[in-house]
Amino acid sequence: MVLADFVEQLLNGLTVGMVYVLLAAGLSVIFGVMNVINFSHGELFALGAYFALSITNPLGAETGFWVALVAAPLIVGVIGVGIERLTIRPLYGRNPLYHILLTFGLVLVINDLVRLVWGTEQQQLVVPNFLTQPVAVFGIQLSLYNYFMIGFAAILAAGTWVLLNKTKYGMIIRAGSQDREMVRNVGIDIDRYYTLVFGVGAALAAVAGIVLGGYQNVNTTMGNSVIIPAFVVVVLGGLGSFRGAVFGGLLVGVVQTLMRAYNGTVLADLGEFTLTVPNMEGLTVFLLMIGVLLVKPQGLFGTRGEESEGGEGEILVGGDGGLLNESTKFKLGVVAVALLAIAPFALLVTGQRYYVTVLNEILIWAIFALSLDIVMGYTGLVPLGHTMFYGVGAYAAALVMLHYTSSVFLVLGAAILICAALAWIVGALSIRVSGVYFAMITLAFAELLYSAVFKFEFTGGSDGLLGFEAMMGIAGIGVPLSDIELLVLGYEIEQRIVFYYFALLLGVLSFLVARRIMNAPFGSVLQSIRESQERAKFIGYDVTKYKRRAFVLSGGVAGLSGGLLAVSPTTFIISPDQTLYWIHSGEVIVLTLLGGMGTLYGPMLGAGAFLGLEEVLSGYTDQWRMVIGSIFILFVLFVPRGLVSVPSLVAERVDRVQNEGDPPVNIDDPEVNPDD
Amino acid sequence: MMTEHTDDSADSSVQSDTSRRKFLAAAGATSAFALAGCGDGSSGGTDTVTVASLNPISGNYSSLGPSQVQGARLAVDQINGNDNYDFEFELVEGDTETESGAAQAEAQRVVQQEGAEFVFGAISSSVALALNDFASSSEFVYFPGGAAVPVTGSSCNEWVFRFETNTAQIAEAISAYTVNNLGSNVWFHYADYAYGESVYNRVKSRMQDADSDFNEVGVTTSELGSSNYGSYISQISNSDADTVVLGMTGGDEVNFTNQAADQGLIDEMAVVGPTATFQSIRAGTGANSVGKYGGVRYVPSLETGDNQQFVESYMDAEGSTPDNFARVGYDSIRLMAKGMNEAGSTNPGDVRDALEGGTFQTVLGDITLREGDHQATNPTWMAEIVEGDGDLPAVELLEKVESEDTLPPASELGCDL
Repeated sequence: MVLADFVEQLLNGLTVGMVYVLLAAGLSVIFGVMNVINFSHGELFALGAYFALSITNPLGAETGFWVALVAAPLIVGVIGVGIERLTIRPLYGRNPLYHILLTFGLVLVINDLVRLVWGTEQQQLVVPNFLTQPVAVFGIQLSLYNYFMIGFAAILAAGTWVLLNKTKYGMIIRAGSQDREMVRNVGIDIDRYYTLVFGVGAALAAVAGIVLGGYQNVNTTMGNSVIIPAFVVVVLGGLGSFRGAVFGGLLVGVVQTLMRAYNGTVLADLGEFTLTVPNMEGLTVFLLMIGVLLVKPQGLFGTRGEESEGGEGEILVGGDGGLLNESTKFKLGVVAVALLAIAPFALLVTGQRYYVTVLNEILIWAIFALSLDIVMGYTGLVPLGHTMFYGVGAYAAALVMLHYTSSVFLVLGAAILICAALAWIVGALSIRVSGVYFAMITLAFAELLYSAVFKFEFTGGSDGLLGFEAMMGIAGIGVPLSDIELLVLGYEIEQRIVFYYFALLLGVLSFLVARRIMNAPFGSVLQSIRESQERAKFIGYDVTKYKRRAFVLSGGVAGLSGGLLAVSPTTFIISPDQTLYWIHSGEVIVLTLLGGMGTLYGPMLGAGAFLGLEEVLSGYTDQWRMVIGSIFILFVLFVPRGLVSVPSLVAERVDRVQNEGDPPVNIDDPEVNPDD
Repeated sequence: MMTEHTDDSADSSVQSDTSRRKFLAAAGATSAFALAGCGDGSSGGTDTVTVASLNPISGNYSSLGPSQVQGARLAVDQINGNDNYDFEFELVEGDTETESGAAQAEAQRVVQQEGAEFVFGAISSSVALALNDFASSSEFVYFPGGAAVPVTGSSCNEWVFRFETNTAQIAEAISAYTVNNLGSNVWFHYADYAYGESVYNRVKSRMQDADSDFNEVGVTTSELGSSNYGSYISQISNSDADTVVLGMTGGDEVNFTNQAADQGLIDEMAVVGPTATFQSIRAGTGANSVGKYGGVRYVPSLETGDNQQFVESYMDAEGSTPDNFARVGYDSIRLMAKGMNEAGSTNPGDVRDALEGGTFQTVLGDITLREGDHQATNPTWMAEIVEGDGDLPAVELLEKVESEDTLPPASELGCDL
């Protein structure tokens, strides 16, 4: 019986593992061939299930399901082709970072469309009756659907393998993933194959969505919930390796399932001490990925070395193209701060007090974005788990307030120190790898912390922490923020406004300190690392050490922003989803790019623009996510250097039109790129 | 649909912010005066009260939140068309995104920008708890939609009143019945978060009280939002349990049920879920739900209170029967209005005093908002899910727990008001 139980669990693991295989195969090949990190893959997966719903509902389960299994992936494949042609194609050759921004925008657009067309209710995708019968063989009781999932996915995976390995198309695609220039040089139009790969990848994702949709249910968050495990599978198996995707998918499925089934099982009873399998559900896959990446940075079946990984195409830092000189910039900065300083009064006089709360949120995110710029804009490292510092800062601050002191200064100090220490540890482990691997390993750490706060009692589990309050002062001298109420010219200056000035001051200070450091020799070394890691290494700099220091600095600043969130008088609870969910890591990357990275002030501007836009749009339309997503897409296509580059873009165009009468050119034209 | 504010309400929010107390006192006085003046039954009130509904329109509970709003809208329409109320409600809506950060921001908006002093909403426990704290610090009346015990238990405060039936009340309905009639060898499977834990703790302790033969065969937990339950189902099916109690809801319960039915678990043993009878869960599982047992917070067929009138008007407005979340939205808003009539004032402080310990007619009959914790004394039912007329399986009520028997003393749930 024990053996039958084990086999039953193994088959359970294979069932879900096969879904991962279908998802990861497309994702991995798309990355391997095109260097595109496709966050929208999860939404294509969901689209598959939703189209299947629309097909099975009128036709009935018995025939509709089979029709859907063929038709829905074709539709999604065509959509994938469209996406590749219209949005991704213009970005080839750019750093994979821009694909994150672009596909993040696509996630917002597709998800909002799904909600609009199919509604938010979870729905059931009915499958033919005979497939849902329980089947018992040798004491193993599973649904026939489990066997169907395993079998069907295996056939598809085998088909894909044949396509990749036994056909001319496959050969060209594989060649392209090794050296695309070479393929171009022999006269093959590889771009056409890219479109094909993207379309097939999307169709495979759609199949996975239908198969899984029939096993559970169809809902608007299904894409979001599979994309991270799918990335883990891809990285684990080795980017671009089909074999890796298959092996990784099955491994993750089986390990996850067995950890679930056997958690709490006593392994050995050593008298007073019993060795049991710990409850690690959720953590398992990330521990697995961290482990594999540390031992074998290119993944289990990855063949590509790290060097080819940073991706071709430089990171486009923001800049005004020399349009504004230092003193003008300084003056603009002073004006900006002055405007921010009088903003609350303007809001008081016009009776729009609520917007002080919005400004507070913007300031917190501006500091968070600044912290990301230190590591992303200045060292070229892209952490996909940066929200771990924001979240840990917030949790640390809340815990300090609950258990030790409510002095704002001590609370924030603790948040900064704890996050800097965390950054040192995470940095020490993850800076050994670079490029996408660095992104994924930081994501893994962030997810570990996200899972951990659910499990621990002292972090309040899923509810989070509540019942804390900050005090403006130190060593017991001071007043709770909520008691600060002043009357200035007849207007009540309440806690939110006091907090606003405090956050503004900290924001300006963080910016000045960061700028000082980045203008010092330390910053120059970082920039030289970003430009060329090899060159910096040859000159004799310890590249890893410099990167780690930047990471620690960044972690500390992010901790400050998280701490500020906790001490803000309008924060009543610190919960996992609000602080540690991976979406926030994506968001902060997006607003850093939006503002213009590598400038320190650009990302802060980006935070203001992003949150301000969100506030305004959500007041007018329910489909604001779609609008914001479209704006991201347009930005990454046309304004890749961010908001800060807009003045120079405008100037360039005006210049051209006036001097030569030439029509405006694409800004990707190398001539236009300012040499900064 | 996000904002429906007029210049009017924006103005009042300015005032109420500048000298909140004074303005409120004044508003209270005017409305009391207005009520006195309108005693002769002359039509229409002049006092407009802004009420807010904050619901999960996106995120994990996006399939539940929209009904809450629809119930609230219906209540507002009826109140505004009813001469018994000398005030009008203006409803402002917000999306909590099932996440406490977004919920706090939306709550700030509706309270500070729109001037709402009566707020209803939230389903997930962390969002409800965040709004609890905000209600207490900003002094507005809040009706949470979440079922977790701490909302009116250990985290209760004087501004929070709950018409949603809490987990303790449902546990009362399912525990004794299950252990006495379905089987005393019980397996617990719950999602590892606040709601799941609270189901496990309450149901287990009530089962122990109800039957000395109760035997906990095993416990498994899954992460919130898990999609694959095959391994747990295998484990449960291979154990000696004759009953399994599920501490999960929403998409988790749908997935579990669909997979359990396919693996034959529902035929094999009694599967009991406190929320198994939810319309959304029955819709997400279809025939797979048939044979499951569940607690009932609400079903449209109830003949209690003025439920049938509610069902009829809801059908007219939305074209479908109301679910539990719609009735919570509907009566939470009506209770606010009834409290105002009782108080003869629209001042949140007065309304709070009137609601506390008050007995009101609702779709669940006459219920009391208990003095000790402000929890509504709702009746609950045990039910079996049976085949329905269409695709949606039906709910057959097996046993009712009367409203006075569903709740343990407030202090036992951690609240001392």
